[in-house]
Amino acid sequence: MQNKYFGLIFLMVVVIFFSSCKEKEYAIPLPQTGLNNDCIKRSLGPNIVGMNIEFTYAMALPNATGKLVSSQVEATIAGAAGTYLENKSYYTNGSGVDIGIVVGTPSVTTGTKTEVVFSKDTCASTLRYFYYIPEEARGKSITFTFSAKSSDGESVSYKMGPYVISKMDMKLDLVLSDNNNSYLSIADMAVYNSATAVANADKIDLVYLYRAITGITFLHSLVSPANTEYLPGVTLPAGVTKSTKVSKAWALRDFNLARLQYGIYIDDVDFDVIDLKDAPNYAINTKAEAGVWVETADGKYRAYVYVNKVDNTAKTMTVSIKRLQVK
Amino acid sequence: MKKYFITSFAILLVAFVFVRCNKFPIDEDGLLITSRAQCYVSNFELLGSDFQTVRTQAPVIDTTALTINTIVFYGTDLKNLYPQFSLVTDAKLDPKIVGKVDFSDLANPKKYTVISGNRQVKKTYTVYITVQPKP
Repeated sequence: MQNKYFGLIFLMVVVIFFSSCKEKEYAIPLPQTGLNNDCIKRSLGPNIVGMNIEFTYAMALPNATGKLVSSQVEATIAGAAGTYLENKSYYTNGSGVDIGIVVGTPSVTTGTKTEVVFSKDTCASTLRYFYYIPEEARGKSITFTFSAKSSDGESVSYKMGPYVISKMDMKLDLVLSDNNNSYLSIADMAVYNSATAVANADKIDLVYLYRAITGITFLHSLVSPANTEYLPGVTLPAGVTKSTKVSKAWALRDFNLARLQYGIYIDDVDFDVIDLKDAPNYAINTKAEAGVWVETADGKYRAYVYVNKVDNTAKTMTVSIKRLQVK
Repeated sequence: MKKYFITSFAILLVAFVFVRCNKFPIDEDGLLITSRAQCYVSNFELLGSDFQTVRTQAPVIDTTALTINTIVFYGTDLKNLYPQFSLVTDAKLDPKIVGKVDFSDLANPKKYTVISGNRQVKKTYTVYITVQPKP
């Protein structure tokens, strides 16, 4: 019995020895022949209508084979005005600055296609593509086909996507001011003063006010018109009476709204899952870089209002909003 | 040889199970029941929906009267608060805190029971919240 075990162990040792000692020869990779291409998506986060999706498309062929003739991008939904393919190829200099070298004529967009024709005798180039998301793409998926042609008649293509376009809207840098432009409408994503608020009374969701009250911390606040307890000294315009659900959030510095270094993105799904049914209808002492989740009184919209800046002297608050229609 | 090996293994296994089960039994929550009889709250925190403290000052914890008194900011939303208890080693809290707690019924303050490590001592603390008055 002992001999049997020894035999097995010996066999195992031999197998391990041979398998671990086998040398793998390194082979120098052979260069690819013909026209080749590659693509990466540079922009991060949700794809929001009115913003760009950015790609970088690289194409090259051996110098002896020929030169690049043209490069084209085709989107399944035509981009809005402002969609273009760069006619410059970039390199990064010693200071980390991207330097563009013109390699072709400015891009021409026809329907869903955007094309650059090369004017420089080049066999390798990397072009950037900016797709300006149109309104008709909201909630849909888009696929991009990048392609290139070379002087030897060869052509290559590269598919990117599909990418889902968010349903939500975004509005940046609305300035609220105490006792003036104090009325915030989530439905319109706009700010009204007491005069214009009368005409839009059914759309006013929150009132901004700044109060420095000794003994308590009130300062910059967003309060529903229905909650007059937290609206000291505010005379509401006629018809402004809504009760909007508000829930404070901290350190939720969405990249699109804050434009800071934090890689946090609020997307459609966040509005779908957030539960605000027990939320209060006010948020007092709101600070810069904080935010509030909001649900309108009729439940039609959910929004995230990010506080970009507060000014105690001017009694103002600058906010940016992401909003989704949920009903 | 095989017989000796199996017998030794079985003895070791039985010894191990015996020692583990007698020395440190576990309770219904999977927590160790130890020999500690201490039973008190060492610290208390109250967070708002933004996970920031809503206390204006340190809480007053009376381990004799079994009360926790804390003052919160004016305008605190008492319906959506996250209480946090720091307990003496090996103790546990009942009821467990699993999410937001509604403290808005100030006339009927919330009660939490601390259970000692040996599960023999139970002390029920009452949490009194006072909202900072508007001047």
